[in-house]
Amino acid sequence: MSSLISEAAPETAAESTTTFKKQRNGGGLGRYIIVRFLLIIPTIFILVTLVFFLMRLTGDPITAALGGRLNASQLHERIHAAGYDRPILVQYFEYLGQIATGNFGTSISDNRPITTILVTYGAATLELAFYALIVAFIVGIPLGLVAAYFRDKGQDAVLRVFAILCYATPVFFAGILLKLIFSVWLNVLPVAGRASTGSEFEMQDLPHTTGFYLIDAFQTGDPAVISDVLLHAVLPAVTLGLLTAGIFLRLVRTNVIGTLNTDYVDAARSRGVSEYRLVRKHAYKPALIPIITVIGLQIALLLSGAVLTESTFEWKGLGFQLAQYLGARDFVAVQGIVALLAVIVAITNFIVDVAAAIIDPRVRY
Amino acid sequence: MPSLPRIDARPRTKRLIGVTAALAASAFVLAGCSGGGNSSSTGGASASSITVGTTDKITTIDPAGSYDNGSFAVENQVYPFLMNTPYGSPDVKPDIAVSGTFTSPTEYTVKLKSGLKFANGDDLTSSDVKFSFDRVVSIADENGPSSLLGNLVSTAAPDPTTVVFTLKTPNDQTFPQVLSSPAGPIVDEQVFSATALTPDNDIVKGNAFAGQYTITSYDFNNTIQYKANPNYQGLLGAAKTPTVNVKYYAESANLKLDIQQNNIDVAFRSLSATDIADLSTNSKVKVVDGPGGEIRYIVFNFNTMPYGATATDADPAKALAVRQAVADLIDRQAIATQVYKDTYTPLYSYVPAGLTGATTVLKDMYGDGNGGPSLDKAKAALTAAGVTGPVTLDLQYVSEHYGPSSADEYALIKDQLESSGLFTVNLQTTDYVQYSKDRTNDVYPEYQLGWFPDYSDADNYLTPFFSADNFLANHYNNTTVQDEITKQVGETDPAARTAEIEDIQKQVAGDLSTIPYLQGAQVAVVGSNVNGAADTLDASFKFRYAALSKG
Repeated sequence: MSSLISEAAPETAAESTTTFKKQRNGGGLGRYIIVRFLLIIPTIFILVTLVFFLMRLTGDPITAALGGRLNASQLHERIHAAGYDRPILVQYFEYLGQIATGNFGTSISDNRPITTILVTYGAATLELAFYALIVAFIVGIPLGLVAAYFRDKGQDAVLRVFAILCYATPVFFAGILLKLIFSVWLNVLPVAGRASTGSEFEMQDLPHTTGFYLIDAFQTGDPAVISDVLLHAVLPAVTLGLLTAGIFLRLVRTNVIGTLNTDYVDAARSRGVSEYRLVRKHAYKPALIPIITVIGLQIALLLSGAVLTESTFEWKGLGFQLAQYLGARDFVAVQGIVALLAVIVAITNFIVDVAAAIIDPRVRY
Repeated sequence: MPSLPRIDARPRTKRLIGVTAALAASAFVLAGCSGGGNSSSTGGASASSITVGTTDKITTIDPAGSYDNGSFAVENQVYPFLMNTPYGSPDVKPDIAVSGTFTSPTEYTVKLKSGLKFANGDDLTSSDVKFSFDRVVSIADENGPSSLLGNLVSTAAPDPTTVVFTLKTPNDQTFPQVLSSPAGPIVDEQVFSATALTPDNDIVKGNAFAGQYTITSYDFNNTIQYKANPNYQGLLGAAKTPTVNVKYYAESANLKLDIQQNNIDVAFRSLSATDIADLSTNSKVKVVDGPGGEIRYIVFNFNTMPYGATATDADPAKALAVRQAVADLIDRQAIATQVYKDTYTPLYSYVPAGLTGATTVLKDMYGDGNGGPSLDKAKAALTAAGVTGPVTLDLQYVSEHYGPSSADEYALIKDQLESSGLFTVNLQTTDYVQYSKDRTNDVYPEYQLGWFPDYSDADNYLTPFFSADNFLANHYNNTTVQDEITKQVGETDPAARTAEIEDIQKQVAGDLSTIPYLQGAQVAVVGSNVNGAADTLDASFKFRYAALSKG
């Protein structure tokens, strides 16, 4: 017995040590990355499935377009020719087989390949999301620091209310309000669109366009086009950016205050370091770390907000197109766009999760 | 110390903030340079160019794959037609053709002008014409206009300037109109595919245009730039403005704001009635209107309406009296003015005003005889048929399909009918897809519909509604009317045909299977220095940019 125990004991101890280290380090990064990556597939699958069946609940696009022009038999003929009268599960598995081969199909309402739509309008949405993030950083982070600096004072209360307003105000309402003030009353910013008509033609004349208007505008070398493109971006970016800025503001404020209550900051405070220096030198960076994690979630929020913002400002990106195709009950286009948006959100979350796992090993499996 | 690594990170953070600040600053500096929201690059600044804004949507500019207002608006500018409507007229005349006549009862022969060319230099011959019609029929795209060519058997091109269409129905007088419809644009067989839709960008790249304009820049449903086509030799003459830019809007509110601030020169389709009323008081713009082809009407289901054929108390005379009383009580002008700020006009017959054969038969037969309602006549109609007590009408409308004012429109109709004391109206609304199925399955006793014409001919307001196999499926079946409809289609004498169309309206007005009550107006809002809109807002229902000029 004793020999058995003595032989087994070191092994158990070793295992125990390994387990302890794993727990302390938060598990293996490789395994974590693989598991997180594999989770992308069911996420997209579930979303595509939901969209497929929900879109069918709203009726077929042929009746929507021609219901007031054709008699019942003509309508049925057209629906039959398009295959919308087949069992829904047959249509579903056919669709899955199609997208598994990378074929997203062709839009019902305008006959364009879905991949063309995704490529053509994806750049606009990414550009808007980029602008919105800049606005969120510029507004949210400094104001969060200021709120923390003035914690529990009047300035803090005002900023907290501002933050709540930012993320509680519906995007379309904020957009219309900003448009009313800056486009209609003050007439200093454009009403809608990504550029004025003349600028668009100038950019379309370029040998290679990217779809990112800021890049294309710089390619023209025309200051009027560049300023025109930037002017058109201001209101959509601010509308969408404020939504995220409110969240950033609250997050930075909470984290800075949390850091300012730690022992080492108390120690620094007792050494006579000013509150301003404490915020600037000790609390600033720790407050930014959770922001990085939250950005992943914000991408999803930005993309959903982009649908309304793009529609309000006629920013012709994927969100705008999605709203148009929804109106036309264009199953194929909606499914394709939603699938792409799901991929973007899932991949962004994956990257953020991996980054978080590298920074903080405790989150690993 | 825990704070040490943070000191290392500081320069990076500063750089990030610096870069962001620089970007923001450059944005605002550049924005400042531009001088405000009214950018100079709108494209509408010079007299040689005009910028048009619209909420139209394009499906495709390949004529074989589109049968909608937005796509047809583009096709009208860039493709030639064999027949077309001159400015100010509803009737067609040869466009790039010299003549079009029936050379036998089932053969319609068109002679082309000689020396016609597409903008890319390709010859435009009868071979292109045959190719254009053959591909519409053979592709038969579900969004396309192939159904308009239902009477076409074949197209032949015996020589380079002659085209012979063989038809099923003899002397089809609507066929010249069909040639000017969405089924009629002539395309270049060197550029277009014979068996599939040609992508828009390939069409633009191939410069396959021979209309008044060519397209020089095309961004789908965003912007289009048109340049006048010097090779166009058709009926409509040369374009008055060398360059026309078109900007596509999704929201009419944005269109309104841009025309109001003169960021664009013309806003055409579709501003709301409120926006038009507001703009009509703005000195920077002019509101121009003309007859529109859209009509609104109420359909009665002859089986399920009160006293209908399948009701327990079925009585055709009482059912007719109910329809007559409704016709007596509807105040069309009130609906047009109160709900639509006069962007719609009262419609008193089945063929809208502006088209050859249009009458005001409903004004003469119902109401006060001057277009107003008449309670006395409504009462008399019901009493004579023995109808007592308020009649219950289950009136269905669509809240989302015919514009945002349908709810107001039907609230007013309900009020007009109920305030007489003769009717109790139950208003109901349903999503349009469900509505379209229900109405053909006898679910709705009375219901709203609207109609846009395929071409500018009275027949397009008669055959679809009152022929034997009409799309209303409301069980209205008058064989005399059906025979007359068939007869007028083949009537070669224009005066006799007009008389027949007038007679059909009279008969249908007696039966009242539908009650038309509004006709849409075409409304364009133009800058104060823009001319020519009135010339093109005619009964052709085609808005030609070539008529517009500035200065």
